[in-house]
Amino acid sequence: MDPYNAGIVKRKSAYVEYPQAVPLKYCIDGDSCIFIQKGKCGACKKLCPTGAVDFDQEAQTEILQVGSLVLAPGFTPFDPSKFDNYQYSKLPNVVTSLEFERILSASGPTMGHVTRQSKDKNEPKKIAWFQCVGSRDMNKCDHSYCSSVCCMYAIKEAVIAKEHVGDDLDCAVFFMDIRTPGKDFERFYDNAREKHGIRFIRSRVHSVDPVLGTDDLEIRYVTESGEMITETFDMIVLSIGMETSPELIKLAKKLRIDLTEGNFCQTSSFEPVATSRKGIYVCGAFQGPKDIPQSVVDSSAAASAAGEILSTARNTLIQKKEVVPEVNVVNERPRIGVFVCHCGINIAGVVDVPAVAEYAGTLPYVEFATDNLYSCSQDTQDSMAKIIAEKGLNRVVVAACTPKTHEPLFQETLINAGLNKYLFEMANIRNQDSWVHKNNPELATKKAKDLIRMAVHKVALMAPLKEAELEIDQTAMIVGGGISGMAAARNLARQGYETHIIEKDTRLGGQARKIYRTASGDSVPEKLAGLINDIQKSKKIHVHLETEIKQVDGFVGNFETTLAVNGNEVILDHGVAVMATGASAYQPEEYNYGKDPRILTSLELDRKFIENDAALKDLSTAVFIQCVGSRERQRPYCSRVCCTHSVDNALELKQLNPEMNVFVLYRDLRTYGEREVLYKKAREAGVIFIRFSLENKPEVVCEGGKLAVRVIDHVIGRPVEIETDLISLATAILPNNVGKLANFFKVPLNEDGFFVERHAKLGPVEFATDGVFLCGMAHYPKPIDESIAQGQAAASRAVALLARETIFTSGTIAETDPILCSECGVCISVCPYSAPSFTEEGPFAGRARINPVLCKGCGLCVASCRSGAIHLKGFDNDQIFAQIFALSKAV
Amino acid sequence: MEHMGIEPDRLQFSWVSSAESTKFVKVVTEVTQAIKELGPNQNLVKTMPEVA
Amino acid sequence: MSDWEPKIVAFLCNWCSYGAADLAGVGRMEYPSNIRVVRIPCTGRMDPKFFMAALREGADGVWVSG
Repeated sequence: MDPYNAGIVKRKSAYVEYPQAVPLKYCIDGDSCIFIQKGKCGACKKLCPTGAVDFDQEAQTEILQVGSLVLAPGFTPFDPSKFDNYQYSKLPNVVTSLEFERILSASGPTMGHVTRQSKDKNEPKKIAWFQCVGSRDMNKCDHSYCSSVCCMYAIKEAVIAKEHVGDDLDCAVFFMDIRTPGKDFERFYDNAREKHGIRFIRSRVHSVDPVLGTDDLEIRYVTESGEMITETFDMIVLSIGMETSPELIKLAKKLRIDLTEGNFCQTSSFEPVATSRKGIYVCGAFQGPKDIPQSVVDSSAAASAAGEILSTARNTLIQKKEVVPEVNVVNERPRIGVFVCHCGINIAGVVDVPAVAEYAGTLPYVEFATDNLYSCSQDTQDSMAKIIAEKGLNRVVVAACTPKTHEPLFQETLINAGLNKYLFEMANIRNQDSWVHKNNPELATKKAKDLIRMAVHKVALMAPLKEAELEIDQTAMIVGGGISGMAAARNLARQGYETHIIEKDTRLGGQARKIYRTASGDSVPEKLAGLINDIQKSKKIHVHLETEIKQVDGFVGNFETTLAVNGNEVILDHGVAVMATGASAYQPEEYNYGKDPRILTSLELDRKFIENDAALKDLSTAVFIQCVGSRERQRPYCSRVCCTHSVDNALELKQLNPEMNVFVLYRDLRTYGEREVLYKKAREAGVIFIRFSLENKPEVVCEGGKLAVRVIDHVIGRPVEIETDLISLATAILPNNVGKLANFFKVPLNEDGFFVERHAKLGPVEFATDGVFLCGMAHYPKPIDESIAQGQAAASRAVALLARETIFTSGTIAETDPILCSECGVCISVCPYSAPSFTEEGPFAGRARINPVLCKGCGLCVASCRSGAIHLKGFDNDQIFAQIFALSKAV
Repeated sequence: MEHMGIEPDRLQFSWVSSAESTKFVKVVTEVTQAIKELGPNQNLVKTMPEVA
Repeated sequence: MSDWEPKIVAFLCNWCSYGAADLAGVGRMEYPSNIRVVRIPCTGRMDPKFFMAALREGADGVWVSG
């Protein structure tokens, strides 16, 4: 069984974990190896040319001394074979979502062709997804929590399946509530429904039956209007949830850390990555069911929390590398060394490597050419460095795998041999030659020779390049003194960095000042006071209240920001900046808000809780209305926190007065993760949940002292009128107006007005602009625990940069020749990174120059310069022409 | 390009993301086929190689 | 002419198509061996001079891929 492909195909006993594995090395599966199990075979040991197979290896126990511990053990996918009603183990075309994920993958067993798992291997015409398999289910699996990720991945799978199979594919998702509260998720859901025509059916399917004589599947379900429908599908995907494995529960016991009711790691809202035991931190799905961006945020947060308590030990265990002085090769005739790699049999099995090496020796300026079994092995590296010194080589070509993975390694060898690392070129004769032309050794060999000739001609023209070293100002600036900004500041200060918080308001705290308590039951005013106290006590944190940002100059490591305080301007130098500008509540115009003092927003109700308003417990009825200003045409995102917030407040009212009639009017109840427990408690406490649709929104009636809500009850399908003493509107969260700030730091905003991070999944706390980070609701609406985690994560990423103390700019960047520059300004307008600008003074005033720190070396300006005044070092015209010209020279 | 007597199809453009290996293979094959159909490039080639 | 094979110069963006080409190798996919790859930092680097040069130098086609 191949676990990487969710067990849908088999793999051999000697295997590579998956194609992108690093290191890309084989290992042996002891459970299925005949030699290890029965003592026979051993063929791999006999065949391996490098003698890498060692059957005598044994598991070893090592003891590490550590100051803190981070747990990132992940989750186990729920196993649906225990549900007899879906017959997952019996019916081949009932698959789990993880199996379907592999079926969709281009690198999966079917190469991305969607096929059935039954013997016919037909392409399906109808696929159904069943949501909440192993989640939100107390009857069959004891998992009352929501797994958070399944709604979104099911929609994604349905959309991709349609892309792969074609528009005719009928996709139906059977769900209880669609929970897409993540950034840009709601839009994706809207598009899936409206543009891709995916059917969403609110129904929990009871069972699956095989259609006699075929591998098709028949299901029966009840629609919202109560109609019983029988439908046949070609495939059914079970959207399985997450769970904590029994081994992990054991480990938690051993570590003496507390778990939640759902067996996830117990944490608190204000310390979201700290376990119940000091010094042990947690991140990822073990902290609670979550998706990739949130896991990435957590991991950075856990790293910085772990780093906080270790900051005094930083740099005490590192070894400094010896620097070999660089040989000056300028004005020397090129003396090129070519190393051709066999890569075991990966290259040599197809390409005639010795012949290629011999050919390379005949090329101009080549002083030395040889072939190596594995060029990347340590001994070959050492011998290469020796040869470079002995033969006095000043340029090197390695013909092997791909520069994308191995260029840095070989450049290191050059540095160790005293050569500038840019006097180097790779010829890609594995990934782009031997691996893809294995049935045509002759042409592959010819291609290898061509590629090496091109590389030799290019490298002859390579010049040593300098990487400028810049000092990083060891100060951080945080824009916004709300919860996430303060969390970032506290972490930066604890790691030893001077930190400035810029806040436009008269005090710290932001939106959190208006919130009563978190979903996990923490009192916000109390905890917030503690956090503010930490900030004010810290000698490293400087708070600038009632301050605005007027101007930002500089770049990563050396920002110069002009602050305006009471009409005075102050300049702040800093190395990094964190955008923690937050968001605010929408002031509703709908539902008669403002016409009756009994109609409140969620935050106004919180205020009453904070002030301990005695009148609350005398209410006889309270109604919560959800999605006020969210998930609407003009604001098509979900504000993420409001469902949990209202459910928690409904529970609070029920606790104050169990006799109170409490109603929650909602569209999809989105208490994701373990917040689902609150929803369950609320139902148990007698809170009544009524669903409405966007087309049939509730109506608030206030006439002659009467306050009532009219809504169509989704169970009986009739309008009902609820007379009430209080209405709480769950208003949307709007981003603050940060257009100017975004401009100052050259960072983008999305169409809703939230900042756009470097990468939606893998770079959630940094911008594409180096040295600028983001956290909190400026990124997207989120609850306090997630805001704090993101603040800590932003601090973590900032520290990773600050701790380097200096940065090297890349050598392969563009440079202008001011003599040729015609001052047209095209380079300035085309550059996506704002690297070129006009020189302001000196002999070349008015001519363009390029800031080497900002330049990413894309070459756009080079191609657009009509004066030919810009050169891209390492990819200059003559170097590219050399490669082209090398082609025409016949072998 | 036509102005210089070169068939426009000799220059092909495409966009392939780094994860789309299947698409890459498809495009290479198509590009090769398209150019194969045009036959050898007769124009603009240096009539005599400068280096013997 | 039946066994004539065209010579194609491929200018591949380091971040996109070059990566895809590497991945095609990892997946051991097969494709025609006519292309010779010039790695460029970004398709923005592409200059008309390059494809003119390639055609002049005897290439039968030029493929630019981002």
